[in-house]
Amino acid sequence: MGSSGGQSLKRRDSTLTRESDVMTITPLGAGSEVGRSCVFMTFKGKTIMFDCGIHPGFSGMAALPYFDEIDPSTIDLLLITHFHLDHAASLPYFLEKTTFKGRVFMTHATKAIYKLLLSDFVKVSKVSVEDMLFDEQDILRSMDKIEVIDFHQTLEVNGIRFWCYTAGHVLGAAMFMVDIAGVRVLYTGDYSREEDRHLRAAELPQFSPDVCIIEATYGVQLHQPRHIREKRFTDVIHSTVAQGGRVLIPAFALGRSQELLLILDEYWSNHPELHNVPIYYASPLAKRCMAVYQTYINAMNERIRNQFANSNPFDFKHISPLKSIDEFNDVGPSVVMASPGSLQSGLSRQLFDKWCAEKKNACLIPGYVVEGTLAKTIINEPKEVTLMNGLTAPLNMQVHYISFSAHADSAQTTTFLEELMPPNIILVHGEANEMGRLKQKLVTHFTDRNTKLYTPKNCQSVEMPFNVEKMAKTIGKLAEQTPDNGENVSGLLVRKGFSYQIIAPDDLHVFSQLLTANVTQRITIPYSGAFGVIKHRLKQIYESVDSVPDEETGVLTLRVHERVTVRQDSENHLSLQWTADPISDMVSDSVVALVLNASREMPKVVEEVVKDEGVEEVKKGEKIIHALLLNLFGNVKYGEDGRLVITVDDSVAYLDKQTGEVEGENEGLKERVKVAFRRIQTAVKPIPGSGI
Amino acid sequence: MGTSVQVTPLCGVYNENPLSYLVSIDGFNILIDCGWNDHFHPQLLQPLSRVASTIDAVLLSHSDTLHLGALPYAMKQFGLSAPVYATEPVFRLGLLTMYDHYLSRKQVSEFDLFTLDDIDSAFQNVTRLTYSQNCHLSGKGEGIVIAPHVAGHLLGGTVWKITKDGEDVIYAVDFNHRKERHLNGTVLESFVRPAVLITDAYNALSNQPYRRQRDQEFLDAILNTLRGNGNVLLPVDTAGRVLELLLILEQHWEQHHLTFPIFFLTYVSSSTVDYVKSFLEWMSDSIAKSFEHTRDNAFLLKHVTLLINKSELENVPEGPKVVLASMASLEVGFSHDIFVEWAVDARNLVLFTERGQFGTRARMLQADPPPKAVKVTLSKRVPLVGEELAAYEEEQEKIKKEEALKATLVKEEESKAVVGADVGKTDPMLIDGHTKADGGGVRGEAYRDVLIDGFVPTSSVAPMFPFYDKTSEWDDFGEVINPDDYVIRDEDMDMGSMPMGGDLDGKLDENTASLMLDTTPSKVVSSELTVQIKCSLVYMDFEGRSDGRSIKSILSHVAPLKLVLVHGSAEATEHLKQHCLKHVCPHVYAPQIEETIDVTSDLCAYKVQLSEKLMSNVLFKKLGDYEIAWIDSEIEKTEGGSLSSLPLSTAPPPHKSVLVGDLKMADFKQFLSSKGIPVEFSGGALRCGEYVTLRKVGDASQKGGAAAIQQIVIEGLLCEEYYKIREYLYSQFYSL
Repeated sequence: MGSSGGQSLKRRDSTLTRESDVMTITPLGAGSEVGRSCVFMTFKGKTIMFDCGIHPGFSGMAALPYFDEIDPSTIDLLLITHFHLDHAASLPYFLEKTTFKGRVFMTHATKAIYKLLLSDFVKVSKVSVEDMLFDEQDILRSMDKIEVIDFHQTLEVNGIRFWCYTAGHVLGAAMFMVDIAGVRVLYTGDYSREEDRHLRAAELPQFSPDVCIIEATYGVQLHQPRHIREKRFTDVIHSTVAQGGRVLIPAFALGRSQELLLILDEYWSNHPELHNVPIYYASPLAKRCMAVYQTYINAMNERIRNQFANSNPFDFKHISPLKSIDEFNDVGPSVVMASPGSLQSGLSRQLFDKWCAEKKNACLIPGYVVEGTLAKTIINEPKEVTLMNGLTAPLNMQVHYISFSAHADSAQTTTFLEELMPPNIILVHGEANEMGRLKQKLVTHFTDRNTKLYTPKNCQSVEMPFNVEKMAKTIGKLAEQTPDNGENVSGLLVRKGFSYQIIAPDDLHVFSQLLTANVTQRITIPYSGAFGVIKHRLKQIYESVDSVPDEETGVLTLRVHERVTVRQDSENHLSLQWTADPISDMVSDSVVALVLNASREMPKVVEEVVKDEGVEEVKKGEKIIHALLLNLFGNVKYGEDGRLVITVDDSVAYLDKQTGEVEGENEGLKERVKVAFRRIQTAVKPIPGSGI
Repeated sequence: MGTSVQVTPLCGVYNENPLSYLVSIDGFNILIDCGWNDHFHPQLLQPLSRVASTIDAVLLSHSDTLHLGALPYAMKQFGLSAPVYATEPVFRLGLLTMYDHYLSRKQVSEFDLFTLDDIDSAFQNVTRLTYSQNCHLSGKGEGIVIAPHVAGHLLGGTVWKITKDGEDVIYAVDFNHRKERHLNGTVLESFVRPAVLITDAYNALSNQPYRRQRDQEFLDAILNTLRGNGNVLLPVDTAGRVLELLLILEQHWEQHHLTFPIFFLTYVSSSTVDYVKSFLEWMSDSIAKSFEHTRDNAFLLKHVTLLINKSELENVPEGPKVVLASMASLEVGFSHDIFVEWAVDARNLVLFTERGQFGTRARMLQADPPPKAVKVTLSKRVPLVGEELAAYEEEQEKIKKEEALKATLVKEEESKAVVGADVGKTDPMLIDGHTKADGGGVRGEAYRDVLIDGFVPTSSVAPMFPFYDKTSEWDDFGEVINPDDYVIRDEDMDMGSMPMGGDLDGKLDENTASLMLDTTPSKVVSSELTVQIKCSLVYMDFEGRSDGRSIKSILSHVAPLKLVLVHGSAEATEHLKQHCLKHVCPHVYAPQIEETIDVTSDLCAYKVQLSEKLMSNVLFKKLGDYEIAWIDSEIEKTEGGSLSSLPLSTAPPPHKSVLVGDLKMADFKQFLSSKGIPVEFSGGALRCGEYVTLRKVGDASQKGGAAAIQQIVIEGLLCEEYYKIREYLYSQFYSL
């Protein structure tokens, strides 16, 4: 496990090669803590962030995940699992106030509720304007940037393939599977493997991931069976109201409360004796979200869908909404469900302050409570509590903790991991001690398998090397024959996302959207001399100059090395035509220079043209070679066998002019003569075709 | 070598018959679509009947009868038992469409090709997928991945992508690239170079006016009739294109505060709209967006009244109104009945929004000029009276007794089973409709009891019983009809069986329920008459399919390696075939019915591993989504027989340089002028500066074949400008 935290993260990103085969996963929040879920991962130059929450125990900037550890502009993809504040609430901040420019995805239901929930969050936050992370406008703007994904829908962004599974936690909650170059990472977010009144259980992904980032909220705890919890819940409420007490259920406005309301409504319908006891639901937000719950029934379980056929199960018969505490007529026994669940502020806190001193009242905490909140404090049943106005009051009311939060317990987690069998497991979203215990348990459980378990703290990176073989598919003409050992294959290597193809240039357009092009160039040069001059000059420079009559007009054209065609267009113009590529361009440039030169030095050349070629030419060449060698070595004579005899001091070398071979005793001289002859040859003779 | 692919049309080639094609991939037989026409002619299904038992999977692309109508019949009669795949809306709306067709038919004839139960059981085993969900088949189809993609046209409409070993077979019929009010356009264009594309030529010859103009004409025609005190009949489908029409009308009524009543009349209208409301995920971005912002469901129709019974329409006060009634063919159903009534009044308007199926009354009426009169058969179901009724009731009584006895037995068993399940009786959750519904796949008493328990708390069950008791009598009743009495099953009873689909149908609207209570026995009475057509008949294309021009441009963009054309008149098919041969690809097939064509790709391919050593020296150049580089490698065969490529040990041989890039003249013009060079187009060439011209030779639109290499000619006088422009031209390409 990597241990470097702090500033090093940013630096490493820039120095690592782009195609790093090491996967780095860093929790920026929810690492050995609960709240502000945010996990950052990079692999093969792709960067993904999962969730973007805030810590409910803090406010302002302090509640954010450690965004300053990373460079938001490098992130390709941001995936939000569900709408809870600790998973989604820093999104408007991240989208609007940072350099993030990647793409964001969440499910349809999550997006619809996200907006309502965060607008509400902005309204009820009691922080000062400076401390405000974002405002209503930021949320609206962020809505335009958020894209939606349906369960099981496979999308691809920048080579990253990803899709999501039902997570069961709340409406629209998803587990994301990400596939980068064949390496799969599953991020569960909050999940539950138990079907409840309206939600499906989390699915078991079809493929086993290589890395599983899994929540550890409940550590090694085991949930009671659901019907026992429900019974405890309804019993506590029933007995409290029967004794004339009031029941406060501090619950988060959305998600689990819908489940609790379904339970309460059903219980009340089955117990007519309770009909005079009112149930209030103090959340206008939840009322607003009802349309969302009514629309996305396809994300819920069969039970709800069947009920929906008769009437809307979310149209509660015994539960009435409560707008504010002023409207609340607190005269007798009642059941009030109010947000927020943390009891930090808002209506639930107001009611708590009002009722906490009374012994017959009860407070039912129905879900997971975060460290550092009042709800967590009262679970331990202290003698006194501090009220919102700063005074202290005795805590006499009954406090019950019955968890309905749809998080997996240790048994669910173990089975889930057992079936998935990921080789790497990273635990997040759990309080450090609980997580440690779960880790121990899992280590013993998976001891015979080579499973690696990590519990990184915030900003602590986990590094996992993955060797991914790069496979290329050779297709088309290149693949007509499968090559044997040692054979060469040359072609275009085309990469799209993480797939490679080797294609012959001619096939490129067949297998990709790419096109190849031929650029034909035609250039007209002023030249008024005789065409023959050009031909002669060209022959001096280039070995292969063919005279071909033009197909249409019959005008004589010259082809230089089968590349550049020279033609006399009119009295005063020559035209050059060739297909662009670096060498032809070079040849054409030289032809252009030659023509320009020729027009300048006209008179001289004309004389030379009439001269006979052939033998003359050869002789002249030999003369030049001889003269040049003479200049270099001093003593050069013609030998008897036609070879040149070069004598330097006492050493003698024999040079064969035809083959360029040199014989002699002095190695040094031999080499020098060889090199000198080669250079002279290239300078004097025309450029051969193969030399280009 | 590539994957073997064969295509055999079973129905719907060289004509507008329903669609049904067999695609065989490496021996795995996939039936794509299973359509039937509005006449339900069994002889159309002859080819299907011969291969039905060999089919391994069925894919449905749209929710209308042309694409899935024969499914119940084929399942029942031909032994088709393969798993079916469809999107959620295609499944739901397809089911409702079939109900609607059945009920409309049943109303006027002794329709016996299939029953509601057959429909239910056919749809029972549909695997529902979401768009771009990769569904990996197992067993015989191992290695095949199917994925539905947005097709436009109908809600949930699908373009199927079938992939094996990296080769794509795409089935795209009736797609629409245009974004509509409730649907996004198809994503077909995002697929490039699939191995095989199967598409239709249905619209190859038609052209559409602009949407705005067409919508305006549509609304004008309707409003003019209404203001002239006439009625407007829109013969529509059950749950497909009608949704778009409803939105057009709803929005216009809303904007202009119109008060003319609109009625949507099908046997399943309220269920349809209820389901559609929960399909927002499948609709256009704008609908999803408006829901996110305002939480107003677009299908919360304020101006449209949903009717499931024609008598309700008759109770509506006189006055101009718009009625959208199902059975677009005008052969049977509400639209037929209303047409017969309204055709005689010159003020009325019958507005067709889709081309009628071949040989139907709708098609006849769309002829130009329209016929002056048509013969219709007016059939009606009338309640039994007198002796007939007495005989019927006697029969009923007997069955009732038997039923009751059976019911109690089953009920007892049921409750035992429930106690067995380890959930406390006090817990209301134990009444879990879902778990029991699984067991209740079999029709019958047990099933219906489950339904009751699942829906209503035990204490309040009692008042519901009479209602369900009655429906329960029906199921077996069908078997004891006395043919002498000429008694046939009661229509309203048929309605009652819909909710019996429980887990399938689920949604049962109250209207339907009340209708079910009316269980008078009845029979069909028919009479023939000739209707003088005085009303105006108008046809406007609201079919939501891409038109000929768009189809061609989409096809040349997708540029499949092989193209198979189906569904469309012989003329249209031939036209599109010729066009595609010239402009799309050299392999275009238009097979006849039961003619198997082999579209196995003749591609050669092998896989090779790219070694780290090789890759570390490769410098990619980025071009859009692609990255490209030239490699020279030496192949090494490993022991396992797999190939690995290593860097060359010797100097790489020279290769002809390749210019990669797509030069768009218009873009290049802009680029040059941004560099301060005066440019203009003249005679197809780009004149740059004074002395240089640039031309693209050959047909740029033609892909496939050798012509896809762009030929660009640059000519000019020898001058500095020439070299400058050449430099700019080179900058548009990558030279490898």
